[in-house]
Amino acid sequence: MAGSMKDIKLRIKSVESTMQITKAMELVASSKLRHAKLRVEKSRPYFDVLHATLADIAAHNTDFSSSYTASRPVKRTCYVVIAGDRGLAGGYNANVFKAVAAHAQGKDCCYLPVGKKALEHYLHRGAEVLSREFPEAEDVSVGHCFSMARTLAKGFLAGEFDEIYVGYTNFVSMLTQTPAVLRLLPLNPPKEKAAGPQPLILYEPDSQAVYDAIVPEYLAGLIYGALCESVASEMGARRTAMDAASKNAGEMIDTLSLHYNRARQAAITQEITEIVAGGEA
Amino acid sequence: MTFELQIVTPDGLIFEGEAEKLFCRTIAGDVCILARHCNYMTALGMGEARVTMADGTVRRAACIGGMLAVTGGKARLVATTWEWAEDIDKARAEASRHRAEEILARKGADARELELANARLRRALVRTSVAR
Repeated sequence: MAGSMKDIKLRIKSVESTMQITKAMELVASSKLRHAKLRVEKSRPYFDVLHATLADIAAHNTDFSSSYTASRPVKRTCYVVIAGDRGLAGGYNANVFKAVAAHAQGKDCCYLPVGKKALEHYLHRGAEVLSREFPEAEDVSVGHCFSMARTLAKGFLAGEFDEIYVGYTNFVSMLTQTPAVLRLLPLNPPKEKAAGPQPLILYEPDSQAVYDAIVPEYLAGLIYGALCESVASEMGARRTAMDAASKNAGEMIDTLSLHYNRARQAAITQEITEIVAGGEA
Repeated sequence: MTFELQIVTPDGLIFEGEAEKLFCRTIAGDVCILARHCNYMTALGMGEARVTMADGTVRRAACIGGMLAVTGGKARLVATTWEWAEDIDKARAEASRHRAEEILARKGADARELELANARLRRALVRTSVAR
């Protein structure tokens, strides 16, 4: 009995120290989540205005075909995959990879991973990796997004790949994050044209030049937006996972203490019985 | 007369409200937007931008990259960076200029380094000239 009591005590201690770690991680994730959420909120107007403006031109434009908009037979697809830098965030990383894998099924693909987990994942699979420059999703700045966008646009124009998608996680709320795959290039103008006269837009110097200057910017904006969402999602997912872990640890400690007390009681009872029995003899 | 103006960058919404005049540098030269401008769309270059507010005060800023669109009388300026003249860190811009000049003056720098230094120098020059 004494042996099992000691065992239980040790278990309780180890669970307690694990709980301390998970609690600390939860706190860290919460404070980072606050920052990440702020960043998402700050970047949203940029994202929205950029998107609205480009949608406007695409909808109103009738007289040009940019190589960015024309879809061509798809031989190769490029995926920008944004995942986390470390694990312990529930299904966050696995969900993004799963969404991308489902989307990429049967295609000839190359990947541009952002975040350590994404890089490891694709290197491990032996997939073609475009760049290893972005191993820390948290540290990627607007500048990085721009250089990424330029590389992608160049590769797209050179015909290295015919489609570009970004795989990321949408930050819906503190508790829900959904993985998504968004198409970056080619831009598809909306199919239905509004009836009636089209408002004319004056382009300076001309629509082609404007488009060529703006598309890399647009790509960078989209990637930056996706990145902000993903980082916030990672923190949210980690917070939830760590919260659940702390709760589980608490429950475990409760059951273990119960067992411990029972064992202690049993030991005392046995001792008394032995003494009484010894006294009678 | 004023028009609605919105200025956004990846760092957030910089300005939203009525303005009388917007002056900035595009890839094709300087333009000035007034109220009742026709629908218009262009990409921005690097240079000084000036916004004349509804009350007549003029605010200057360093504006680098992005685009400018006017639709339905509403102007939207989506910039890569937009810094009001009073927010510019002059010392930092100066230091950045010196660093870039050093790299450009050095022989044996590779093409990519030169390109980066060139871009940095241009940004620093825009900033210092606006902050002055």
